[in-house]
Amino acid sequence: MMTQDKTIGNRIFDLLNGFLLLIIALLCVLPFVYVTAISFTSPAEVAKGGLILWPKEWSLAAYRYIFSTDTLFRSMLVSIYITVVGTLINLLFTSLMAYPLAKTHLRGRQTILLGVLITMLFSGGMIPTYFVVKELHLTNTLWSLMLPGAISAFNLIVLKNFFQQIPDGLEDSARIDGCNDVGVLFRIVLPLSLPAMATFGLFYAVGHWNQFFNAILYINDNKLYPIQVLLRQIVILSQSSIGDTSIEQTEIQPLTIRMAVIVFATVPILLVYPFLQKHFAKGVMLGSVKG
Amino acid sequence: MTKKWALLMGSAMLVTTVLSACSSNNNGQQEANANQPVADNPAPAEQAEPLELTIAAHLPGEAPAEDNPFELALEKYTNSKLRFQWIPTSGYDDKINVMIASDELPEIVKVSYVPNIISSMQNDVFWEIGPYLKDYTNLSAQPETYYNNIKVDGKLYGLPVFRPVGRAVLQYRKDWFDAKSLTVPKTLDEWYNVMKAVAEGDPDQNGKKDTYGMMLDKNYNQGVASTLTRLSVSQGGPNKWKVDDQGNFTPEFMTDEFLATMKLFNRLYEEQLINQDFAVSDVSVIDKAYESGRVAIRISGGNAQSMQTNLEKVVPTAVMDAVGLEGPEGVRVPGENGNAGILAIPKSSVKSEEELKRVLTFLDQLLDKEMVYLINKGIEGTHYKVEGDFTIPLDKEADAKEVKPYRDVLLQRGESYNMDKPMQQTPLFKKNNDVVIENEKHVVANPALTLLSATYTDRGADLEQMITDAQTKFIMGEIDEAGWQAAIEQWKDAGGAKMIEEYKEAYLKVQQ
Amino acid sequence: MKQDMVASAGPSSVNAPKGKPGYLLKDLIRDKWLYLMLLPGVLYFLIFKYVPMYGLLMAFQDYKPYTGFLGSPWVGFKHFERFFSEPQFGMLFKNTVILAIYNLAFFFPLPIILALMMNEVRHARFKNFVQTLVYIPHFVSWVVVVGIFYMLFTTENGIINELLYRLIGEKIAFLLEPEWFRTMIISQSIWKEVGWGTVIFLAALAGVDLQQYEAARIDGAGRWRQLWHITLPAIRSTIIILFILRLGNFLDSGFEQIFLMLTPTNREVGEVFDTYVYTKGMTQAQYSYSAAVGLFKSIVGLVLVLGSNWLAKRFGEEGIY
Repeated sequence: MMTQDKTIGNRIFDLLNGFLLLIIALLCVLPFVYVTAISFTSPAEVAKGGLILWPKEWSLAAYRYIFSTDTLFRSMLVSIYITVVGTLINLLFTSLMAYPLAKTHLRGRQTILLGVLITMLFSGGMIPTYFVVKELHLTNTLWSLMLPGAISAFNLIVLKNFFQQIPDGLEDSARIDGCNDVGVLFRIVLPLSLPAMATFGLFYAVGHWNQFFNAILYINDNKLYPIQVLLRQIVILSQSSIGDTSIEQTEIQPLTIRMAVIVFATVPILLVYPFLQKHFAKGVMLGSVKG
Repeated sequence: MTKKWALLMGSAMLVTTVLSACSSNNNGQQEANANQPVADNPAPAEQAEPLELTIAAHLPGEAPAEDNPFELALEKYTNSKLRFQWIPTSGYDDKINVMIASDELPEIVKVSYVPNIISSMQNDVFWEIGPYLKDYTNLSAQPETYYNNIKVDGKLYGLPVFRPVGRAVLQYRKDWFDAKSLTVPKTLDEWYNVMKAVAEGDPDQNGKKDTYGMMLDKNYNQGVASTLTRLSVSQGGPNKWKVDDQGNFTPEFMTDEFLATMKLFNRLYEEQLINQDFAVSDVSVIDKAYESGRVAIRISGGNAQSMQTNLEKVVPTAVMDAVGLEGPEGVRVPGENGNAGILAIPKSSVKSEEELKRVLTFLDQLLDKEMVYLINKGIEGTHYKVEGDFTIPLDKEADAKEVKPYRDVLLQRGESYNMDKPMQQTPLFKKNNDVVIENEKHVVANPALTLLSATYTDRGADLEQMITDAQTKFIMGEIDEAGWQAAIEQWKDAGGAKMIEEYKEAYLKVQQ
Repeated sequence: MKQDMVASAGPSSVNAPKGKPGYLLKDLIRDKWLYLMLLPGVLYFLIFKYVPMYGLLMAFQDYKPYTGFLGSPWVGFKHFERFFSEPQFGMLFKNTVILAIYNLAFFFPLPIILALMMNEVRHARFKNFVQTLVYIPHFVSWVVVVGIFYMLFTTENGIINELLYRLIGEKIAFLLEPEWFRTMIISQSIWKEVGWGTVIFLAALAGVDLQQYEAARIDGAGRWRQLWHITLPAIRSTIIILFILRLGNFLDSGFEQIFLMLTPTNREVGEVFDTYVYTKGMTQAQYSYSAAVGLFKSIVGLVLVLGSNWLAKRFGEEGIY
């Protein structure tokens, strides 16, 4: 980029840095490669043991098995639905609330923030929360998986902090154009905060994707279970001792099938991040506009 | 920038629309019509009307489709309209507690015999069904023990999901035993010799020291399937608790047989004749080692035939065999509770005695001959066919998906009740099964099984962990015999001694 | 940079004096849109978070699901007294705190460092590639992570131990020995969450004005000075906020991971509040007891958060509120 960057020291730094990052990246991805490789390997090969990073004997048997019913597909659709709709609700509610709280002149702001903070630390617990969800007639609907977590206090506080860093000058120009606060939020603040929106969108989406306990609690109809409920049922039951020992040992699924379910349930959410990366890059460009 | 704004607004609008659509009418989504618990409209129990029933139970691997042929056949025979509420295992207990708290229990719910449920039984959450049992042919025909094992204060609050009481079977690699001319061990010394011979004799002849006589997983000393208990019982030890004529209780781990068993494993560990990492090994890891042909003996409740089938894939020449777990005085196995849960009937959903009787009739019908065949074998022509005196499975995969989920939950006693044509099985499968049936004559009961102790309820898990941890440490040589005795004293002080007293009190009360 | 902070801390558009009661109505009318925007969020917190708060009182009851909240007897501080007088309380407190401090000391800074390293990468594609890979482990469940660590570190054909055996002729029971427990836990957490932790810092870094770097370079500032004077200050408030919020969960240890890693031999250093309460609850669903322990943890968290927030403000930071 800059001529003065091309010093020897800088080059060595770049090389070292890149090398280190490459190693870290590989360390991070290897276990997933292992899981994927097993899911594509024939059960007999897996039974021989050893570390498999590339299938020696390819086999689609595990995938054929998990796709032999539509259960996994259906719960995948449920997961996608609650992730997409839930995240949109999250972003809308969170930014609507974070924006006023970023205004230090707002009366009552500190009280509300303290109130929000307290919910991060104290919670009424499972049964009282269940009663609220039940009284609102949300049980056994997908809303019970989206509304009770509509705003994360953590994300709200951090987003408020992001908003605070946006120079007020930019907002003022919009106000002169006749926008009210809602307009300023949607026309100026949110477009400027795309990296933050992408980040919190990702946090929320992953949160929705990974939730299973609320689904077990609030949903009675198996057809409405998200994929994580099935994943845990298949993977955790067979591997760990968490849970009631008085339950009969259910038929343990072969390792290949368990791994195939993991791959199937993880790949969609993994694809979200590369997609969002564009917005991080755009954020940088927008950043240069604001100076 | 306008484009982005439009996109954002668009999504906001979408959300709002969806939201308002929701609050005005509830048909926006795939909301199943399962919203209303059937309990809300207790229909007059007219025999012609099908009985509406919801059954809550553990989710099997995968929930079967609603109104599948199996359910229809079940409904037709029992004149009922069934709904199964399959609850995933990872949240089962919490869900049941939430259902209890919010009065949303279905007509039949599967529960476990644990203090929390026991105390709700004592507090009238569920119907006491003991007095009604005699009116039902099938239910009253089942052996007393199964019912006694789930009684609370001598009263019966549900039906056991029957399981064999003596499941411990010794499965071993017959090909290795034959090649090394070993015999199935009976005394602890023989156990040691076999373990040593297998670990050092390279029975798989691959030139590597990679075989074990037996491998343990980290739950090796937990619950009914505890390997330590099973071995010590075979040597004449008690099943969890020993009680004398005066009602004095002694925990198994204070008996000589148990200590001798622990010493055996300590020796095996020190000489590296069992897996050195057993305290961290998941059962799945151990399963894999067995399946890949690296281990000689297993004491388990599984069937040797399925071990054989798995093993053959890796070691085609392997031969498994199954025999009873014998000690110096013949077969002796710990008696298990004889159920995989209890089907209880909540008073909040089944309101009158009349309704209760209908639900009991339904449960009784499950043990009628037609239903025994349905539940155990599935639908004739689809899952099995009859040939002579046997039935032959047609589609094992369909059976696993469409029948097994129900078989695990509903009442059935396999071949032991109302089944004149057993499933045709391989000789090995049958041999293993026969051992289990034979075991019933040799079970050693746990005298404390249904005794209530306030200390156990309060800190039973704590106390148990204290002593099982000490067992592991002893086997690993981290504590010696003096350390072990100190651990026992510590256990007594922490509440163990009180528990012994409470069991005695409860025991004497029942004996009178 | 200092200027920036000041500018963002106070509203430049509205200079109304704050706090005088006479202006209250005027302020409310001026900010009517802001209050309207707050409304859905405030309602949300009231309904879904504050209405169930009565559940905290269970800590002072003997709550049973079948008697319900109203029917359960009040027992005062019984559960707290019992918790504090458990023979293991000292051990549990020590283990939990040490683990929390290890986490703050060894885990917390790493996502920042990794994010800064990635920020230094000029090659956009390589950067994206690395970013995409490092966040994958976040999606691997603890059961699988612990399973993988078992395969690596066990003494029975574990890869690391086989290597060690060849190198030094000796095996180390990493998974059993108490002195390795915390190292194992922290390294698992690092492996699983460090990449995920970078996401928020990358977002903060994305907001840094590129022109500032330009200007610094013209002034002859090297990479380290740019990092020190531009990059770090830009994400400082994010770091502080995350640190304060982390303190709120100070006594939470991540139940599932620790539970899976506990063995009889490392329990003396590994058992923490969360796993202990779980073990207790196995025989009896002890809602009241776990509510009491939860309340204790929350109060400790509250004190830490309020204290650190006050401290942050003393040093001129914005803090949480």
